[in-house]
Amino acid sequence: MKIEYKIYLSNAIHILLLVLIGIFALQNLNQILTKFRFTVIAEGLNATFLEMRLAEKNYFLYGDAEALANIKGKIDQTSETLQQVRQDITRAVGAEKYNRLQGYLKGYGQLIASLDKSRLRDPVAQQKLREAGQNLKTFSENITALESDSIGAIIVHSKNILLYSFWAVVLFAFLFSYLIVHNIGFSLRKIVELTRSISKGNYEKIAEKPSNDEMGAVISAINAMAEELQKREKEIVQSKRLASIGVLVAGVAHDLNNPLNNISMIAQTYAEVYDSLSREERIGFMERVDEETERLRVIIRNLLDYAKPKEQHLARAVTNMVIQKILALVQNMLDISNIQTRLALADNLPDIYIDEHQIQQVLVNIVTNAIQAMDKGGELRIVSRYLPAQDDIEIEIGDNGKGIAPEFLDHIFDPFFTTKEESGTGLGLWVSYGIIKNHQGNIRVASEVGVGTTFTITLPSCKKLKRCCDGEA
Amino acid sequence: MAKHNIMVIDDEKIVGDMAKLSFEQDGYEVETFLNGESALERLKEKRFDVVVTDLKMKGVDGLEVLRTVKKLHPGTVVIMITAFANLDVAIEALRDDVHDFFPKPVKIKELKTSIKKALGDL
Repeated sequence: MKIEYKIYLSNAIHILLLVLIGIFALQNLNQILTKFRFTVIAEGLNATFLEMRLAEKNYFLYGDAEALANIKGKIDQTSETLQQVRQDITRAVGAEKYNRLQGYLKGYGQLIASLDKSRLRDPVAQQKLREAGQNLKTFSENITALESDSIGAIIVHSKNILLYSFWAVVLFAFLFSYLIVHNIGFSLRKIVELTRSISKGNYEKIAEKPSNDEMGAVISAINAMAEELQKREKEIVQSKRLASIGVLVAGVAHDLNNPLNNISMIAQTYAEVYDSLSREERIGFMERVDEETERLRVIIRNLLDYAKPKEQHLARAVTNMVIQKILALVQNMLDISNIQTRLALADNLPDIYIDEHQIQQVLVNIVTNAIQAMDKGGELRIVSRYLPAQDDIEIEIGDNGKGIAPEFLDHIFDPFFTTKEESGTGLGLWVSYGIIKNHQGNIRVASEVGVGTTFTITLPSCKKLKRCCDGEA
Repeated sequence: MAKHNIMVIDDEKIVGDMAKLSFEQDGYEVETFLNGESALERLKEKRFDVVVTDLKMKGVDGLEVLRTVKKLHPGTVVIMITAFANLDVAIEALRDDVHDFFPKPVKIKELKTSIKKALGDL
């Protein structure tokens, strides 16, 4: 569900709860009001009944006709009142109790009406009347007391319900906010993680199915972007390769010019001294021309091989051979830049299972960076070793150039990050990182300003990848 | 008049071999060296009229050869050849000390003309 709707739903539930609580409170208040009205009326009735009973006593004691008339008047008056407040009472205590009350009053009234002087001293009649009066009064007082208690009970009940609903609302609000915030926070963390890993060249998607809300939409969008980036990366890898050829060619030009010059000089001299040459000497000249063209052919093949766009092709390779091959490509750049090379290549290294083309690209990239860092000459150190514990091969390329400032070091594999103001695209090391990661390897850098930089690449041995199929370890 | 002598230094063996053949054709005495070190040794013993040296060599390079020649034999003409075509700045910097500069591939006739000019034969 969309977060938007979740929030709407939460608000709707809150409002509904508040309305329910309001309705409940209103109902209780109405009930209390009804019962309160009844008790007021009932208190009046009780007082009248008490007066009636006093008058009744007086009548029996003194035979006072005035008292009798007084009672009759009060009965009529009460009957009338009962009629008037019938609705209030019925609502409060129900029709049955109202009818009983009216019944008691009627019975009492009939007994009073039947009294006359002759029966004044009749103890049976007296007793009947007293009983009827007592009944009337007791019933009335009882229901009054009952209703008073009931008011108390309703208030306590309301209070409790309000208290519980208060906590329920608070709890619900808290829980719901927590769930939403937690959800968003969780998704955001996922997104941060994902974008970070993408920026490092890992295009793994978020594995679980994205949720059906805004966060899910963002994750889907990022997943789609990662997919797109992965496609683009291939293009970038190729364009980086072509760009690095520009750098290589500057060095290779020297390589090309030497055999070219040799051929040219042989040709010029050959023409000049032709007459004085023996047949064998002439053949020797031509053989040297042939040797020089072979030199050219190798250089050009290496360059073309390096430049050719290729689908990834994984194959078993000899680590030290890969290193030697790239050294041949960069040797002249190293010479021009007055850089000595110190190799420490371990013997008996296990083979690796790589796209040699891509790994060459990484090594060339790192070495050309090293050369640029040693603009006043220096030493390039290339070490290869086996890490038996991890079954990995480690290639270390170090320079004693100007080094990388600590604040840049963390970003060195980020795309478009460059310290070479005009010449860098900031993609070389990013591409390298992606290539090494694709090979299930690792690349890291250590550097100190003024001391130098060391890149360390680890690649799983072909045995570790279960790619040594020809039975050899 | 004694023959003019020329020293040729290049780590590409063919350069020395061909230069020697061609220059001797024109009556020069030629000694060739494959690196700067052995050339410097020889320069301590002998003065050459012309030194043709490659600029970029492992170890002692053309610049060091130039410095040594100018110190030991200020009158010697130095001609620089190089496989790097785009060293304009370096060439400019050396303009005062270097008689001529030839990018590879070298036209031997032009090189010889330059040598002749330097030796006052033209």
